[in-house]
Amino acid sequence: MKFHIDDLPIIFPYDRIYPEQYAYMCDLKRTLDATGHCVLEMPSGTGKTVSLLSLIVSYQQFYPNKRKLIYCSRTVPEIEKALAELKRLMDYRMTCAETEEEKAKEQNFYGLGLTSRKNLCLHPEVSKEKKGRVVDARCRDLTNSAVCEKGRQNPGSVELCDWHENLGQMEPGNLIPPGIWTLADVLQYGRDKRVCPYFLVRRMMPFVDVIIYSFHYLLDPKVAEQVSREVSKDAIVVFDEAHNIDNVCIESLSIDLTRPMLDSAARSVGRLGEKIEEIKKTDASKLQDEYAKLVEGLQEASQDEDSFMANPVLPEDLLKEAIPGNIRKAEHFVAFLKRFVEYLKTRMRVLHVVAETPLSFLQHLKDITYIERRPLRFCAERLQSLVRTLELNRLDELSALQKVAGFATLVATYEKGFLLILEPFETDNATVPNPIFHLTCLDPAIAIKPVFERFSTVVITSGTISPLDMYPKMLQFTPVVQETYSMTLTRNSFLPLVITRGSDQVAISSRFEVRNDPAVVRNFGSILVEYSKIVPDGIVAFFPSYLYMESIVAAWNDMGILNEVWKHKLIFVETPDANETSIALENYRRACDNGRGAVLLSVARGKVSEGIDFDHNYGRAVIMFGVPYQYTESRILKARLEYLRDAYRIRESEFLGFDAMRTAAQCVGRVLRGKTDWGLMVFADKRFARADKRAKLPRWINQYITETASNLSTDMALTLSKLFMRTISQNPNENQTGISLWTLEDIEKAQAKQKALALEAQQQQDQHMDDAEDEYYGDGGLDDEILREIDLDV
Amino acid sequence: MPSTVCTAKTSYKKLPGLLELTSTHLQWTQDGKKAPSVKVPHSEAASLFCSKEGAAQVRLKVALVGDDTGHNFTFTSPQPVALAEREKFKNELTNIIARNRNASATPAATAPGTPSASVRTSSVAPLGIPSPARPPVSRAASASSDSRGTPANDPTSDFRLRKKVLLSNAELAALHREMVMGGHISENEFWEGREHMILAQSAADNQKRGKPGQLVDPRPQTVDGEIKIVITPQLVHDIFEEYPVVAKAYNDNVPNKLNEAEFWKRYFQSKLFNAHRASIRSSATQHVVKDDPIFDKYLEKDDDDLEPRRLRDESVDIFIDLGATQEDHGESGNIKDVTMQAGKQRAVLPLIRKFNEHSERLLNTTLGEPATKRRRTDVAEGPGHYSQIDLEDLHDNQTSGGIVLNMQDRERYFGVRSSETSGQQPANQKLDFRSALHEAKLSLPDWSSSLGRLRLERKAGDDALNGMTQNVAARLEVKRTKHDISDNLFRQMTTCQTAANEFLRQFWLSIYPPVTDGQTLSAATPAQKAAKAGKMIDYLSRTHEKVGALVQTAQQEGVDPSRVQVAMKPVLDAVDNALEFWRRRSSKQAR
Repeated sequence: MKFHIDDLPIIFPYDRIYPEQYAYMCDLKRTLDATGHCVLEMPSGTGKTVSLLSLIVSYQQFYPNKRKLIYCSRTVPEIEKALAELKRLMDYRMTCAETEEEKAKEQNFYGLGLTSRKNLCLHPEVSKEKKGRVVDARCRDLTNSAVCEKGRQNPGSVELCDWHENLGQMEPGNLIPPGIWTLADVLQYGRDKRVCPYFLVRRMMPFVDVIIYSFHYLLDPKVAEQVSREVSKDAIVVFDEAHNIDNVCIESLSIDLTRPMLDSAARSVGRLGEKIEEIKKTDASKLQDEYAKLVEGLQEASQDEDSFMANPVLPEDLLKEAIPGNIRKAEHFVAFLKRFVEYLKTRMRVLHVVAETPLSFLQHLKDITYIERRPLRFCAERLQSLVRTLELNRLDELSALQKVAGFATLVATYEKGFLLILEPFETDNATVPNPIFHLTCLDPAIAIKPVFERFSTVVITSGTISPLDMYPKMLQFTPVVQETYSMTLTRNSFLPLVITRGSDQVAISSRFEVRNDPAVVRNFGSILVEYSKIVPDGIVAFFPSYLYMESIVAAWNDMGILNEVWKHKLIFVETPDANETSIALENYRRACDNGRGAVLLSVARGKVSEGIDFDHNYGRAVIMFGVPYQYTESRILKARLEYLRDAYRIRESEFLGFDAMRTAAQCVGRVLRGKTDWGLMVFADKRFARADKRAKLPRWINQYITETASNLSTDMALTLSKLFMRTISQNPNENQTGISLWTLEDIEKAQAKQKALALEAQQQQDQHMDDAEDEYYGDGGLDDEILREIDLDV
Repeated sequence: MPSTVCTAKTSYKKLPGLLELTSTHLQWTQDGKKAPSVKVPHSEAASLFCSKEGAAQVRLKVALVGDDTGHNFTFTSPQPVALAEREKFKNELTNIIARNRNASATPAATAPGTPSASVRTSSVAPLGIPSPARPPVSRAASASSDSRGTPANDPTSDFRLRKKVLLSNAELAALHREMVMGGHISENEFWEGREHMILAQSAADNQKRGKPGQLVDPRPQTVDGEIKIVITPQLVHDIFEEYPVVAKAYNDNVPNKLNEAEFWKRYFQSKLFNAHRASIRSSATQHVVKDDPIFDKYLEKDDDDLEPRRLRDESVDIFIDLGATQEDHGESGNIKDVTMQAGKQRAVLPLIRKFNEHSERLLNTTLGEPATKRRRTDVAEGPGHYSQIDLEDLHDNQTSGGIVLNMQDRERYFGVRSSETSGQQPANQKLDFRSALHEAKLSLPDWSSSLGRLRLERKAGDDALNGMTQNVAARLEVKRTKHDISDNLFRQMTTCQTAANEFLRQFWLSIYPPVTDGQTLSAATPAQKAAKAGKMIDYLSRTHEKVGALVQTAQQEGVDPSRVQVAMKPVLDAVDNALEFWRRRSSKQAR
């Protein structure tokens, strides 16, 4: 279907469109025109990705200054889905193209996805490695520029990667024919042509129109420096599924050190020392060259593909000056590192919890070891230079040392928004010390700041980012558009229910004090049993934490509750291992397809809760057992809460509630895809009944929780569920078209209505112009205001 | 002549006869015949099943080597005698089967497959001999109706199936009572034309029942103050299937090192059993569990590491590939808090893994192994991936729907016309468009005033309204007077009507027999059909009388007789129709 928003022709790859999709596209276009940032919440399963891509690609193809799209998602499945969506969109655009010229334009459109070497490697041996870090290291050994040069001059002298070599022989910028390539496609292309998919994507990045990768590739300075540095400033950046973006920001600047890591780092330092001695004897000039370079100033990163560990701090915080004299000489630097590691080791011996600011840490460090802040800041960079000079192999063995250097650089760079916490024991009751030194970033705004500053348009969107104003507050930016859309439905296709007590009227809750109470456990269990009796196909149950899930699974088994479930459905459980869980998931889907039906037990915020859809028969009911609060005893969380309160005036309880509800909504929102799909959403905890909790749910869920459905016992909920399933299974009589589905005519009607309203507003405004000229600054302001109102009405 | 060990009166395939066990054969002879019609050498007997004690019929089933269906015998003597007889047979046969099994090269190969009676005696310490229940053949196999029907084995004539159909359909049962038991038509006639119901029933009966999902978890029961685990052949079968290691142990040790009973006794006391129990409490009972040199050999380390012990490298659909996400970017950030670290409770991990494996195994029994070693791209290329991201309700069904009609010799119908028109078509189109536009333009001006001049005729409107009012009134009337026919009369009317309908059905069936698909009961000759039709006409001709009687009853009960007449009129019309048809036909034939 083809329609216009203002003067922009949009090609949408379906015959109909949901009204909320249309509204979403309008707002998105407004943001792009205004070159500002926006926060958009669109109900899960209403085709957010396709609307977004459809609008942005139309925008790119229509305007001459092709703005590149950087589309970030959370997980590889989501990346692959977005790529598939894009591929289908482009296929559709091709069929819509009227002239040859247009067709050629669509054909020359590039879209690629990037993921790690581990996921893209084709080398027969390297790809067998289990750990991504090892794959990275071995790949670098075979592909870095020094080795390649040597190998090419003197074939056979060193081992090279054929796939990488073949790629090098191709014409740069034309490594792969234009089009959209999903990760699977790129892999297959690599196999067919015997070229390396990873480097292919990396080298094609400057030429593509759309690049899709995960948040980290833009937010984590360690990766972003290598991957995303050359992207131009007018690119459109989209963070899809951005409800967790603050956590990704924080993660990308936080580091943990443990004792085994320090031991390993110490060993690496020793090995570096030996290597230096060795080189001194064989090729002393190398070290002198390096020294000379360092004296002159910062060594330019030779080739970005080579850099194995970029600086962990943000680019603007890098010091653009020469490396301090006392660590310029290789042996001095090694001694320096040694001292630092020793210092950290002694700190680890403390048997009580320590929390301190970076400043106080640096002070203490200086008092004890005379290590100054300035050289510490250069630690990561200096290490990189040294490793390159020594031409070391198998960098994964150095990873602990790299972490220590990163830790040093971070701690010396940032004063505010960070905290160091030393926890000698894993839990409060543990007796054997297992110390962890956390360097934790408390402020998500730090990591995302460069993104907001550098790119003119950043779109933050998800199915669940209520309350909307929380994100601008936490991430410190000003959106030009901030919008949430409700779901237009001709009949309620999902039923949210809040179960507050079991059939025996005992209140249920995952509150810490009562969560292991047998009555609560049994009542939780009976919810699962009863629902497995009445719901067809798949049921997904989420628990607030792994610990709770594991203990409750054991308890249910011993109580014979699971035996009841086995009678009706198969049971699958999320395990610690990702691959194992994937296989369980696949079997879960087979059981749902087969009609046998299955129950999947998993964890909110866990592996399964992100990026896996439970639409249609894969999830007819989602049960949220308890409110998925974070573990409030965690010292890191406490520190973060304190910081949020002091810096942004966000109350602790407010943040915790917000965080729990967005997680719950995220889990529950996975049941729907499209408006003909249906599902039950069961919130099983008495705390969900409280209005302030529910107010934090996205509006599109909350508006369908009726007063009666907000405080139910298990048996009442079952009655309602049965009733719902009976009604939803009927053939819908009423035609959805025009209400929850729009055809082209409906869009035009809505646009005409909008225009009329806008005209009216314009006239009114003209009348008032004389009285209140100062209050309006042009036509745009009010227009937008009214447009937004209209969108909500449809 | 081999000597006879024991004999009993039994029926086989519903025929009475004599079952004999001789020193070499098990044989059955039909009453009045000399040669045995079933003769099974001892060496072929593989297993034995008995009906439950207290069941209405005392039955014994002998399965043969390579033939699980085997033979079914029903002991026809009075219950106590029959039981005693069967017990005798069972004991003898058990010994024979046990001998067969020992002699066989792969004793356990058959044991797990067909739980045999020889496995039945064993349990923990104080041996309580479990009742030799007749287990379903296998939990996975269907509850197939063993051929207890007539030897013809035609489902449509199976009495049991007919009974089932009648039991599940009250109305049909009433009709059956009326017609067949009333002696109006024969049983077979009744079912003629209703074969589909029996076939549906037999299909439903034959449908495979899936395996129940429960984990095999033998829990001790307290019987008479003693704690026992009662083993049934079914349980043994399940244990072997669920834990192949036990089957292996059984294979290795029985009967050379341990006998049957001892094997199970020791198993249930071993660490192996505790490892298999689906409970994490088992770790608490670890200290009461004794070391067992035999079973401890089979013990594996607990599978409680974060990574499963059995690594599986089969690739999964990338849309659900969680591992790829984990490896998508280097690890960063602080470690998760203690509640969010998966696998903190290590004792639960084996349990969780067992759940996943058990579910997978159940799935595989019905669906077969998943297509292993799929390459990622193979999946990605398939249409399945688009369908996963598709929003189906956004497609316009109206335009895409419809099935292309495949016509033979299409050219003949369309070829000429299209060739005729093809020449002028483009010009036509242009012309059409312009003239249409022109016409539309011409007809359009002044539309608002003509709309204003539009008047609805008053009379027609009133008529329509009147008509509707009358309609509503009539409906109301009907509703009001509906329920004053007494229950009794109403039932009589219904019976009369259904009976007449059935006669009509039979009549027309004999006149115009349906296209036979081999399932009709009686391939009746024309003469038979004619006779039947005549009989039916006879019945039908009496319908008028019956209705007359009903009208009279109605009068007596003070119900408006005309209503009964109206109600029965369609039936009477149909009957008259049939009578008329018959009259004309017979007169034609007479001529």
